[in-house]
Amino acid sequence: MALAPRRVAAVALAVILIIGVGIGIATSIHVGSSGASPTPTMALSGLIGSEKLPFFQDQRVIDALARGGFVVNVRTAGSRQIAQSDLSKLDFAFPAGVPAAQKIKNDHPGSTIYQPFYTPMVIASWKPIVNLLLGAGVAHQRGGYIGLDMDAFIKLIGKGTRWSDLSGNTDYQVNKSVLITSTDPRTSNSAAMYLSLASYVANGDNIVQSDPDVNTVMPVVSPLFLKQGFVENSTEVPFDDYLVQGMGKSPMVMIYESQYITRAASKDGSITANMQLMYPEPTIFSKHSLVALDDNAKLLGEFLSSDPGIRQLETEFGFRTSDTASFKKFVSDNALPVPDSIVSVIDPPTYETLEKMITRLEQLYTNG
Amino acid sequence: MRRPYLGDIGRRLGVIAAVAVLAASATACDSSGASPVVDPNDPNTLTVLAGSEVKDIVPMLDDLRAATGVTLSLSYSGTLEGAERIDGGEQVDVAWFSLGNYLKLLPNAGKRVVASNKIMLSPVVIGVKQSVATRLDWAGRPDVTWKDVQTASASGSFKFAMTNPASSNTGLSALIGVATALSGSSDAIDTGKIDTAALKDFFKGQVLTAGSSGFLADDYVRQQANIDGIVNYESVLMSLNAGSQLTEKLSLVYPKEGILTADYPLMLLNSAKQPAYQKVVGWLLDPKQQRRIMTDTNRRPAIPGVALDPKFPTTTLVSLPFPSRLDTINSLLTTYLDQVRRPASAIFVLDLSGSMNGDRLDNLKHALTQLTGLDTSVTGQFSRFRAREDVTFITFSTDVNDVRTFTIDDTNPNGPDMSAIRQYIDGLDAGGSTAIYSALDRAYSVVGTSVSNDPNRLYSIVLMTDGESNTGDSYGNLQSKYQSLPANVQAVHVYPILFGEGAVSDMKSIATLTGGTVFDAKTTSLDQIFKQIRGYQ
Repeated sequence: MALAPRRVAAVALAVILIIGVGIGIATSIHVGSSGASPTPTMALSGLIGSEKLPFFQDQRVIDALARGGFVVNVRTAGSRQIAQSDLSKLDFAFPAGVPAAQKIKNDHPGSTIYQPFYTPMVIASWKPIVNLLLGAGVAHQRGGYIGLDMDAFIKLIGKGTRWSDLSGNTDYQVNKSVLITSTDPRTSNSAAMYLSLASYVANGDNIVQSDPDVNTVMPVVSPLFLKQGFVENSTEVPFDDYLVQGMGKSPMVMIYESQYITRAASKDGSITANMQLMYPEPTIFSKHSLVALDDNAKLLGEFLSSDPGIRQLETEFGFRTSDTASFKKFVSDNALPVPDSIVSVIDPPTYETLEKMITRLEQLYTNG
Repeated sequence: MRRPYLGDIGRRLGVIAAVAVLAASATACDSSGASPVVDPNDPNTLTVLAGSEVKDIVPMLDDLRAATGVTLSLSYSGTLEGAERIDGGEQVDVAWFSLGNYLKLLPNAGKRVVASNKIMLSPVVIGVKQSVATRLDWAGRPDVTWKDVQTASASGSFKFAMTNPASSNTGLSALIGVATALSGSSDAIDTGKIDTAALKDFFKGQVLTAGSSGFLADDYVRQQANIDGIVNYESVLMSLNAGSQLTEKLSLVYPKEGILTADYPLMLLNSAKQPAYQKVVGWLLDPKQQRRIMTDTNRRPAIPGVALDPKFPTTTLVSLPFPSRLDTINSLLTTYLDQVRRPASAIFVLDLSGSMNGDRLDNLKHALTQLTGLDTSVTGQFSRFRAREDVTFITFSTDVNDVRTFTIDDTNPNGPDMSAIRQYIDGLDAGGSTAIYSALDRAYSVVGTSVSNDPNRLYSIVLMTDGESNTGDSYGNLQSKYQSLPANVQAVHVYPILFGEGAVSDMKSIATLTGGTVFDAKTTSLDQIFKQIRGYQ
């Protein structure tokens, strides 16, 4: 078992989770008394994306951090909210994306960004769905994994295609529009990543930069979200729905690769033979970016980026680190259907541009 | 005798009153198993505002306490009412409704949700009598659509029961599902895509309504000879099929366009209670408890890796999207209530005996006046008198004083129809004795005439009294008269309100005789009780 028992999904805002304190102190006393650690203990507080909560709650991670001299207390919030929060009493912020991290860095002179791990955005789907998309020429077999041609796929959605319209469809005759289930772009990083990806494609394979670019892409990208109806705040929810409620609820879900890997590696029976991952082409990385606001947090950033023990744990949580060999080994040890390296990757737009697009979506959600 | 307005004081003190529906029948029974003394500051006690649907989990709570040390103290309300109370700032640690989406869309309530975990699943589907399924050629077919149901309903060949979507999640889920499917696409519906004509066809067949899914199931059992099917949770329908109350088993129809599934999210509102909340979620989502929930309540597990019991169909359940905008849901509800559903004939039998004088009469007048559109809260909007509705007041004291009917054409709160009702209510005076059974006899004779003139309305009688009958007919008189009524008049329930010195046993007898249920205005304000009763009209 790579993972602790099922975590409690923390959805929303400003949840104070005192997860390090009790256990962390106990651990440091233990370590201190055994004389193994010369490092004095530093207590750090940070605001993190909720997707990393299971990582920071894991006892092995708490122990590894204690070994490095850290007791880490975290609160969770959506990446967008992290970028807009008052961080003055905190040592670090740890959003899941570069745009938010960049904004925080700009707002806090002297801060430093560390990117200890990242994970690509992928689509959790089903064999019958993948077969339909292969047949429609928008998905492609790539030796070991399936690639989804995002340009062709978004054009397919743009035409108002329904699952029942796809030729040769006997397995999924559903009248719903072809769509990818996502989280709420107003609050959640994984949806913002999807928005970044879709806007790049809608902008003729260029990163959205200017106001005219925004005007061009909004009519294409907004239906991807609005047609879904009610969307959840936390990336755990749509993935859990996919695992539990199946193809009728969730034919395609935008998730972090790390979510799928942790489930698959845990061998808890949640990943079944009918499930299949697709890799968007191009895709985008969710680069977990620790913005260190003080010197102690810089040490934490270094530690998370370079300590072999914690990096191994990061790998087991499904993240990719600079240690590609250990990711490769983990993937092959667990026979995961995951490519070692990903070729076609785009960068997200700047925080300001992303914010413009999200604000436009916000208006559409409010006013229709 | 002047008495304090208990319900109102209770609310001002922030006391969460255990709401409403007293038992008239077994499954509507409101004994929550909550421990009597609750310290809301105890870190191992979670106060929970819950939908009545989760009452069947109560038998597990002792084991939960033994395993985790955490006590759940439950009080109940309807989905929209609960969402509104939480939006209004009511202090409670956890909300637990069959669906959390409406609550999450409310501006204040949504922000209060600190964590949310789905506990169990049950889709909202249609139970169809097996003979009817055969007659309509739906038996064993996986491709029956909402559209097929619309056709059968419009032609009069399918009559069904469904809860009021403004009061109960099964009604709301079905309404959203039907409206989405009949809008032509199966994408999230918005106001512009509501096909009112198609919905009217669909709901021609809705002959029974109720404010809760449990009461609806009981009422279906009572009236099953005359009804073809019932919209409810898969879990409720499976429990009905497993029991001995049905004369004919129900075939479960999962319409092909898709359905909505209740997922019972346990929503933490008080972040200080996170540790206890995590223990509860951890215990409920343990595979062992998930299997127990599946066995005991016929709900599906909410975690992967727990194999589905073979009693559930293994077909792919297509799920329809929930709207992303509150105003879409609100306009769907308004359309349903004002234009789509069968119009209501609501009969209010009002005790104006001497004991009603003072605060009691004032409270009654206030509660009734609020229904003329003056209450603009979420639940107020949906409990007001509706377009096409007939509202009849039968006032009584020593005998029946007056019978007055108002027909609502104009729903504007300041328009002539609502003003006329307010003027009438304002003029009510109290004095004299209490002839409850004579007044009910009159109510049934009014209903009898109306039903034979217009059988396609939804009739109900509300009895509001603060005392015991001390003149006129006896309960025995009412009983024998009721039993000689034609079946379609007997089908009209009396909903007694327990108020003042009203006798619990008398009120229960009346409810049991007529298939209604008692509402308790001793612990909850009359305003609130009248709004809840509107869900049953």
